[in-house]
Amino acid sequence: MSSPVTVWRHHKNIKNYLGQTGKIIVWTKVYIAPAGFEHEAPYPVAIVQFKDGMRMPLQLVEYNEKHLKPNQKIITVVRKLGKVKLDEVIEYGIKAKPI
Amino acid sequence: MRIKVAGVGLTKFGELWDKSLLDLGLEASLDAIKDSGIDKNTIDAVFVGNMLIGKIAGQDHLGPVISSSLGLNCASFRIEGACASGGLAVHLSLQGILAGTYKNVLVVGAEKMTDAPSSQITWALMGASSSKERKAGLTFPALYALMAQAHMQKYGTTREHLAHVSVKNHYHASLNKKAHYPYEITAEKVLNSSLISYPITLFDSSPITDGAGAVILSGDDSSKGVYITGSAVASDTIDLANRSSLTELKATQLAAKAALKQAGAEISDIKVCEVHDCFTIAEIMAMEDLGFCPKGEGGKYITKGHTRLGGKLPVNTSGGLKACGHPVGATGVKQIIEITEQLRKNAGSRQVKDANIGLTQNVGGTGATVVVHVLQI
Amino acid sequence: MTGIVSYGTYIPKYRIKPSQIAHAWGKEVNEVEKALGVFEKAVASVDEDAVTLAVEATLNAAMPLNFDLSKIGAITVGSESHPYAVKPTATTVAGILGLPENLLAVDLEFACKAGTSGIQLLSGLINKDTKYVLAIGSDVAQSKPSDVLEYTAGSAAASFILGNKDTLANILDFTSYSSDTPDFWRRDTEKFPSHGGRFTGDPAYFNHVISASNLLLEKAKLKPADFEFAVFHMPNGKFPKEAAKRLGFKDEQLKPGFIVSQIGNPYSASSMIGLAATLDIANPKQKIFMCSYGSGAGSDSFIFETTPLLKQFQKKNSKNVQSQIQNKQMIDYSLVARNIINKYRI
Repeated sequence: MSSPVTVWRHHKNIKNYLGQTGKIIVWTKVYIAPAGFEHEAPYPVAIVQFKDGMRMPLQLVEYNEKHLKPNQKIITVVRKLGKVKLDEVIEYGIKAKPI
Repeated sequence: MRIKVAGVGLTKFGELWDKSLLDLGLEASLDAIKDSGIDKNTIDAVFVGNMLIGKIAGQDHLGPVISSSLGLNCASFRIEGACASGGLAVHLSLQGILAGTYKNVLVVGAEKMTDAPSSQITWALMGASSSKERKAGLTFPALYALMAQAHMQKYGTTREHLAHVSVKNHYHASLNKKAHYPYEITAEKVLNSSLISYPITLFDSSPITDGAGAVILSGDDSSKGVYITGSAVASDTIDLANRSSLTELKATQLAAKAALKQAGAEISDIKVCEVHDCFTIAEIMAMEDLGFCPKGEGGKYITKGHTRLGGKLPVNTSGGLKACGHPVGATGVKQIIEITEQLRKNAGSRQVKDANIGLTQNVGGTGATVVVHVLQI
Repeated sequence: MTGIVSYGTYIPKYRIKPSQIAHAWGKEVNEVEKALGVFEKAVASVDEDAVTLAVEATLNAAMPLNFDLSKIGAITVGSESHPYAVKPTATTVAGILGLPENLLAVDLEFACKAGTSGIQLLSGLINKDTKYVLAIGSDVAQSKPSDVLEYTAGSAAASFILGNKDTLANILDFTSYSSDTPDFWRRDTEKFPSHGGRFTGDPAYFNHVISASNLLLEKAKLKPADFEFAVFHMPNGKFPKEAAKRLGFKDEQLKPGFIVSQIGNPYSASSMIGLAATLDIANPKQKIFMCSYGSGAGSDSFIFETTPLLKQFQKKNSKNVQSQIQNKQMIDYSLVARNIINKYRI
């Protein structure tokens, strides 16, 4: 996964995305996950758009099938990203929760 | 521009357990050299397109790996642009010829994907995307699934339209003994196959394939043959979320316009083409972006049969990425080879009648790089 | 006076019943919930841990009054599920929240009382330079699968912002009682905790809770009847009621804070969430008694008194404890199994 230095840089940015609301533009549901994410599959990922127009791809958490649609409102939450080896640094980041 | 495709060489595409990347690259190179009739010592430069071998086997510095295996001391380079590595290698080699620096070049596209477990390959392929996309747990099927969803929402494209692409390309591959999957399939099979990332199924997706293709390109335009008359590259944002549109590849539109201009041709002149169907939706968008049909009508266009052998514009007679296979760095070169064989009237049961001008479209990532070539006799 | 300026909790939304857990292990299901006094417990998602729970609880603490977290001068995170054995949860949480780097950040471990010990320690740090401090209790509780602890081990976090001004409840007094008691432990490289069965009762939980409570009541010259409410650490639905009875408190005093029946035992967050639930409904000028318990063993006891500012806070606190308890989704044992396989790399 990411090295300690890249995790360190990435963590410094998280505060800029806390508690932001946005909406789903498009979504998909990943069944075959890349290395490090297999334990979470299947999971939805959406391109989310925030109030200022900025768009980002975010994994969706705590969803029901009815939330998987364009314009669904979401709020950002902090979660662990993927799974790392036991001797690696844990990476935290932003995901999206339907509201 | 008028640069001759003097020789071509293509390995079988498939799960080639016995062969290493070097074995494949060398086999294709020697076949291309033989086909060209030139003395290999007249090769001035070797351009190698490859994406993954550094990450999965720790092997970089591929230029000399190939050139020295041929006993050459010429200039040699490795070019990487994700799945457009092969097309980019061709494009860059042409610049050397156009500049007068090189007269004969060897371009090899090679990829050895079965040496690593598929979860590692899926992860490695995500090097073509962005950090944000990787952190969101995305994969390439998922990224193209997002584009498919956008296309389906905006234009009413259906999963059946997507399946048609796969069925057609498999039909073409059934006529190609070098293809990874040389057999036909049905639309039901595509629709019922397991989901990789909704709505993309296993049979909407190009496979993990080993293979290599090589071409000898020459600045000597004195004889008859197949010539590259247009070669253009365009780029776009690495992040799909930052694109101006989720339903088209601007880079395809720009590169195609530039390449056709160089060739002095219109899109309606094209008789046969090879496009980058890494996922079925990609071929539908390519039909629109290249200008073969209006925006949003790619799905309908595919179902009309125009792009099947016998139709007015056969697309992916090789079987495309889906059925011929997609050894990522090799695909761009394979596309050049397929169009060359078509224009040479050497395509056997896949032959498109009266093919005199063809086009290739090779895409890197979700469209951050697109390379378009025009070939003519 | 030093007290609570703001507070917040985070309770994961998924719930499972002890009878479902018993059923998964082929055990006798009848009456297990009644015997424990626990009817559902909160289950964290596979991508949640003590860090993420603490972050969400703190954001919920900042939200009602729009509290500017850059004013925090010290943070403690008490947990028995810190993600690292070496690398503090407190700095990870502080970094994610964007707390200033001019900060004392410390992790605490004392089984289920690590969160409340933070309140005692940090309250002494508040001065003209360190105006506000943040005490967090956060756990994704661990238990050996199929062990009886699995019925009650829950997950949640609570964050308390303490200061000297504009408090919604003041800390009138506190004390602590500690002894070397091996009732529940987890060795350094062991995956799951072990416990001493019935030894966890009288010599452990009751001895420390009763002792710490009586010491404080004597010190403050108060009686149980002087309090409107009381919160005791809730490892199950029986122990806190028994401790209350022995001390002379009544069941009604425990009622608003009695969260264990609905979310199980979130270890370091247990009594803190009980306190939060009590503050969610209390009126001004009411006294609240709290006594936590941590195995190993010790108890922190507190006397709080609410102020008129509490009413205003309650109006703005949309994510109060009951709203989170009610925002739930039942799951089956498969999520629990996935969490176990993932966490312990089986």
